[in-house]
Amino acid sequence: MARVKAEQQPNTGRTLIVLVGLGIAFLLLMAFLNVVKGGNLLNEANLLYAALIFYAGGAALYLGFGVTGTESYVKFASLATWMGLIACTGAVAHRWVEAGHPPFASVYEMLLSFVWTLAALTLVAEKKYGVKVIGTVTMPVAIVGVVLMQLLRTEVHPLVPALQSTWLHVHVTLAMLAYAACALSFALAMMFLIQDKMMTETFLAVTSASTLAIYAGIVFTRFEKWGGLNVIAWDAEQKSEVFLSRGVRLFVTIPDLGWLMALATLVVAVPLSSYLISRRAKIVWYARSLPARWSDIYRAVLWIFGLRRKDEVSATEAWIKINPEPQNQESWILVANRAVFVSLLLQVMALAMFLVRTRDGHYGSLDAEGLFATSLVTSPFILSGLVGGIFISLLYLLLLWRRKDLERLLPSTDDLDRITYKTIGIAFPLLTLMIAAGAYWANQTWGSYWSWDPKETWAAITWAVYALYVHARVTRGWRGRKAAYLAIAGFTVVMFTFFGVTYLLPGLHAYA
Amino acid sequence: MAVDFGAVARKTWQTLASIKTGVVLLILVVIFSAAGTIVLQRPITEPDEMQNAYSPQAIRFLDAVGLTDVFHAWWFLGLMLLVSCSIIAASIDRFPNSWRYFSRPYKYPDESFRRVLHPQKQVAIADEEGGLVAAERALHSLGFKPERVVRADHFAIFAERHRISEMAVYIVHASLLLIFFGAIVDGIWGWRGTLQLNEGETTATVDLRNGTTRVLPFAIRCDEAGQENYKDGTPKKWWSKLAVVQNGQDVENKEIVVNDPLLYGGVRFYQSSFGTNGKVEKLVMEASPTAGSGEKRQIAFALNETAALDAGTTVRFAEFIPDYAVRDGQVYRRSNQLGSPAVHLVVTSMSSGRSFDVWLPASVGAGENAQAPYQFDPKDLRMGHFTGLQVSHEPGQWAVWSGVVLLGLGLAFVFYVVHARFWVVPIRDARTAKHSLWIGGSANRNRDAFGQRFNDLVALVETELKSIPMTSPREKVASVAGR
Repeated sequence: MARVKAEQQPNTGRTLIVLVGLGIAFLLLMAFLNVVKGGNLLNEANLLYAALIFYAGGAALYLGFGVTGTESYVKFASLATWMGLIACTGAVAHRWVEAGHPPFASVYEMLLSFVWTLAALTLVAEKKYGVKVIGTVTMPVAIVGVVLMQLLRTEVHPLVPALQSTWLHVHVTLAMLAYAACALSFALAMMFLIQDKMMTETFLAVTSASTLAIYAGIVFTRFEKWGGLNVIAWDAEQKSEVFLSRGVRLFVTIPDLGWLMALATLVVAVPLSSYLISRRAKIVWYARSLPARWSDIYRAVLWIFGLRRKDEVSATEAWIKINPEPQNQESWILVANRAVFVSLLLQVMALAMFLVRTRDGHYGSLDAEGLFATSLVTSPFILSGLVGGIFISLLYLLLLWRRKDLERLLPSTDDLDRITYKTIGIAFPLLTLMIAAGAYWANQTWGSYWSWDPKETWAAITWAVYALYVHARVTRGWRGRKAAYLAIAGFTVVMFTFFGVTYLLPGLHAYA
Repeated sequence: MAVDFGAVARKTWQTLASIKTGVVLLILVVIFSAAGTIVLQRPITEPDEMQNAYSPQAIRFLDAVGLTDVFHAWWFLGLMLLVSCSIIAASIDRFPNSWRYFSRPYKYPDESFRRVLHPQKQVAIADEEGGLVAAERALHSLGFKPERVVRADHFAIFAERHRISEMAVYIVHASLLLIFFGAIVDGIWGWRGTLQLNEGETTATVDLRNGTTRVLPFAIRCDEAGQENYKDGTPKKWWSKLAVVQNGQDVENKEIVVNDPLLYGGVRFYQSSFGTNGKVEKLVMEASPTAGSGEKRQIAFALNETAALDAGTTVRFAEFIPDYAVRDGQVYRRSNQLGSPAVHLVVTSMSSGRSFDVWLPASVGAGENAQAPYQFDPKDLRMGHFTGLQVSHEPGQWAVWSGVVLLGLGLAFVFYVVHARFWVVPIRDARTAKHSLWIGGSANRNRDAFGQRFNDLVALVETELKSIPMTSPREKVASVAGR
């Protein structure tokens, strides 16, 4: 059986490589023709475009490797990634020269640095640690980053006085490096869970819950009466958001888009609810066991104060012995998996509609007379949510359809566990230095090294979570799943610090 | 019933020193500081905004539990102190063991240790001395300094590197404590405030954050302040020339910009804002006589100054309105920002003893412009500037920054510096009377990479063994016979 497979592989292997190569060549040719017309070959937009093409080729090959396990893809995939990285380096250098400062001043420039770091780390992880399949996860993320950059493109902004400091550049560089390492540790922890035979249904529950959270968040905050969707107005001439008064942004309503989002929310909710129905018996069982669990909590409290030993048989364990867990119902899982596929199509549609309708057209507002334009720049949060949702669903489908191959390709659980720890061994000192550099900069600028502003506080929380990971692993010997959960929790906090704090919580870090 | 204080103290100590307590405390800190970023905080929020966001009951509740100012609440400080205590206790609890390990390295591996150690390997040798020399050479070429351990009945080779790595975790914890210490010192003895200075003004009073003022033991004077802009008009640079005045003398001068403060007597002055203060520094005008073709002349003066126009006529700069409005024939000051400025001059003629009110621009209307002996044409108006300074005194800073440096070093040691140890023991098999070299190694982290290093060492020992000439003919014969 294995031999048959081995014989088949070169065939399919060549097809994909040739296809991707042709695609890259075609796109480069088209781009080149455009450039010849424009006359300027090596500007930032072209370099970025080239990076995008190569990253896309690399991602396609990595995905091909992830799905079929054909070894020969990896060589070409990393070649494409190398080319993309070179182009990306060119774009970074160009930006640097043009702006006169390292590219860390705006969301756009930070994405540029982030994408660069991510591609570099992917190559390191692949060459040094032999985690070849990592590109399957990181390269699509890099593509999303480059695409977001195309949408968020802004010209070079001069730096306000507070931002003109070497320490700022040190701070942001360290932050990007640390966050990229955190992203890598997250991907590795996920792979660990896959390799550790965590049930596909659990991934189903988690992924569909995350997408549901994204859509529910959008609908909850932006749905307007009669099916509109509220977005912030954009003044194309001033290149800024429209303000009603100081600090109050003007929202315009895109008609009907709200209905689409609501519909998407409903469909995205289907996989989770089918999953819950399939678990109905188990939920009832769990609810019944709650009294036993309360006594467990009581025991845990006693244990914290050192009053009782933990290894006594808990009430829950006793309860479980008498009432074994019921079997789950397979047919509902089947429904859930199909629903994920359908929801993916609808999500793509929602994204497409969102892109089309925000880029063109003028819309009315409830708060002001007249029609206003909007722009993707004003809704980076919604945009990353929509793209992220699609990405999460895609990853789940990849896992669902190709789990066996993935398990064959991934390193052993022990290896993954150790590499995760090593990645965090890189991320944690970087996080520490990042916070220190930020504090030093703040001290130079505002005369105080720590002012408990939300971004600072959340950076400290991130640090604390990774400190927990290190302690749990080193001194308590937590390996495997518990450690992987902590690594995942750490990255969730990183994402919140990076995106959530900027958009949800107010503070000094308004520049980023 | 007598309470056993010893037992209670021991129990408390154990609880405090346990990693469990540390983890629980850390989780609590995470939860409360997250709450502090989600609930609006009083020090950084306007009271109105607070009232808009929460209902009165909610505000009362949040204030009562301290959630509106988490980071200055006594219980949060208490929590941080508990964390510090937990770190101290945990370190003290574990330190003696580590110190013993550090100060008295384990040099001769006994039999039970040799049995369980991984990685280990045995290499056949002809004689003890030759084997040991080969091992020493191999270790030397790997950059180690092997030492011979000679005991009464046995001997061995011990080599190690980076023993300090065992203490790294204490360096990290000590540096954290140092940072906390600095922050507490700043919290108690430090202060922050703001200072607004007009150009040429001197002051020693700082407005503190909490609404009070503080008088410095020296005064600060702003000689000049300015702003540079980018082409598109956004500010590029703010600067102020400051002078420290003590007992009437300038003791220090510095031009500060954003990110480059002035430090004097433990007090730092940071550039934080800049603007016009609505006062005129210099008004330049051209005056020409109303009657006849007299000479035009340029005059320049500041507010309340008087300039002579000719032998019998003077002009006084009586009033300046940065942004005027006229209503019911009266001139009003609309704001202190430079908008549409108006100037009030008083022209006095000695010969006739009359004074004329002149207003510029003439449209202000209330004046007697036409009757005045001179007509004025404004040429230049230079406004005075103020510079906004942040002032802070942070006596604990040195502790914070040295803690940070130490923390970086400590973490580098914790994650990247490996304490590697090698033991080499010659063994004689009692049954076959053959000699072999037992090689063992241990590392406190990064064990897989160490495994590779261990294999390198074994390979090196084997090549060294081949190149070493046999020590005695008898041994040589024995080894040849052995083959």
